[in-house]
Amino acid sequence: MLDLLAFVALGMALGVLTGLIPGVHVNNMIPMLLALAAGSAFCSLSLAAAIVAMMITYMFIRYIPSTFLGAPAPGTELSVLPAHRLLLEGKGYEAIRLTAFGSLGGLLLSAALILPMLVFIGPAYNLIKPQMHWLLLAVVVVMIVLERSKVRIAWGAAIFLISGLLGLLTLDTNLCGGDAALMPLLSGLFGVSVLLPSLTGKSSLPEQRVDDKPLEVRPHLKPLFAGTAAGALTGVIPGIGPSQGTVLAQLAVRSKGAKNFLVAVSGVDTAKALFSFVALYAIGKGRSGAAVAVGQLVDVGLRELVFLVGVALFVGGIAAFLQLRLGRFAAKHIQRLPYRAICLVVLVVIVCMSVYYSGLIGLPILATATAIGMLPPAVRVKRTHCMGVLMLPCILYFAGLKSGVLGAFGL
Amino acid sequence: MKIITKMSLLCSIAGLAAIYVGAAQVRPSVTAISKLDNDFLGLKVIVSGQVVDLRESNGHLFLTLKDDSGGLISVPIFSSIRSQIPESIELLDVVQATGVVKEYNGELEVLPEQAGDIVVVRSPCATISALSEDNLGALVKVCGVIAEREIVGKGNLILTLREDGDELPVFVSASMARNSNFPEVHVGYTVQATGWLQLYENELELQLKGASSIEVVEAA
Repeated sequence: MLDLLAFVALGMALGVLTGLIPGVHVNNMIPMLLALAAGSAFCSLSLAAAIVAMMITYMFIRYIPSTFLGAPAPGTELSVLPAHRLLLEGKGYEAIRLTAFGSLGGLLLSAALILPMLVFIGPAYNLIKPQMHWLLLAVVVVMIVLERSKVRIAWGAAIFLISGLLGLLTLDTNLCGGDAALMPLLSGLFGVSVLLPSLTGKSSLPEQRVDDKPLEVRPHLKPLFAGTAAGALTGVIPGIGPSQGTVLAQLAVRSKGAKNFLVAVSGVDTAKALFSFVALYAIGKGRSGAAVAVGQLVDVGLRELVFLVGVALFVGGIAAFLQLRLGRFAAKHIQRLPYRAICLVVLVVIVCMSVYYSGLIGLPILATATAIGMLPPAVRVKRTHCMGVLMLPCILYFAGLKSGVLGAFGL
Repeated sequence: MKIITKMSLLCSIAGLAAIYVGAAQVRPSVTAISKLDNDFLGLKVIVSGQVVDLRESNGHLFLTLKDDSGGLISVPIFSSIRSQIPESIELLDVVQATGVVKEYNGELEVLPEQAGDIVVVRSPCATISALSEDNLGALVKVCGVIAEREIVGKGNLILTLREDGDELPVFVSASMARNSNFPEVHVGYTVQATGWLQLYENELELQLKGASSIEVVEAA
């Protein structure tokens, strides 16, 4: 029992570490844990618990740097991320509280949903699988059409396509061995492209209010339920990111506003993380790097699934507490911290990690992904169109067209 | 268009073009078969190994390669590609195959796209005198002249191969001997046979792998 707690604590510590450094993902730590498993006599179920603990903790903690770092210049609120919008209003800690509520709520609700969902996930997946490319295409079309004006729709489609082309060229060729390109790709599209403008522009943060009055739960229940449902679905269906799940969920329940978005997106995130482990049991496929690693360590049956969900719930409570404490500290001290220096250090870490994981070819990939990632705020469309980097290869794979398309390019 | 949009778009397109040129130049590297997993799906790889199983169907050739890593991988060669490969492929030949990793019936396979993706290195026959009990259970290829041809039991065939004074019996089951792929063989013919080495009544014997695992090199 004590060794299990030690592994959970180790997983949580790594989750905090990966969550606090933007651009570093839990997937970067998994090879280390798997190597530990290979060269030791440790119980593989304890190592699986460590991976679950790391994944869940990361899901909570990562909202701290994504809220407080990379803030854009004042006056650009309309085209910035919802958490940054609250940060620019001095409500960074409120964004943290909302995401802690959404993450924990999403985790509890999705745990309650597992049993009823288990009944139909397998048959539903088998039914959907042959039509998966149409389903993903429909999601893409809805996301692009939601831009409403013709110019923005054209930009949305263009950003989706060039992101997708970048994904195809880097993930599906021998340029750097498939998944090794994920680090520079995702860091460029969603990390460096957010940090860079705040480093070069005149970014100044207003004083952050640290409000401890109880959070109003009722107005946020609708986005929480919608986010959890979307997370459960996207945890089983590959290629759809949390932002897309959130936008679709909000569209379904007609929920609006930055606060509701934050609750929904954090609900999607933890539900998606939990259901990626459920998918291991229900359809035999892990839908996240962490779930695939758990699948390599243990043969997930019903008993193992119940154990892993128990670990996730135990960790979720502590991670929410940690997120609130660390978020409160960040809100109080962010103005006194050398903001640009922190952003610069984070950028250097991302560049080093990209080279470490992908070799020198990681640098042009990171630069190109960053350039593409800077387009959405410049043309005022959603950044989520950059998910084309994973979705286009996914759509082509399920449509059986990937080899043909690569062949047409002479690859 | 704002300057930032123009610059981002220009860098994106230039970066994509550079990455495309890089991707087109990079040759796939030889991958150990045991390392192949679902992460390689859709990627082009080179595998190199010995043909440990070979099956023909409707003009298509289905190879199973095994390399030093101990892994096994299927390499299907469709008839359109097979017809352009100048040399025949036999059991125990070493084949280097370049192709895209695909999944078929839950198993991974490497699918060559053109005849140039297959390179065959013919393996020599083992010397009969060099075979010993250390080779029991191994797939071996031997060459020799048929010194004796005997029908035993319900149509089973025992061919005794002679090479430089050393002899090795080759067991051919009745069903194989009746198979249309089994060639006509008589005493004095020089043949090449592939099969598993086994012990029968304390004597080494080659059990023919399949009806097409014997080839007449020279008729008497």
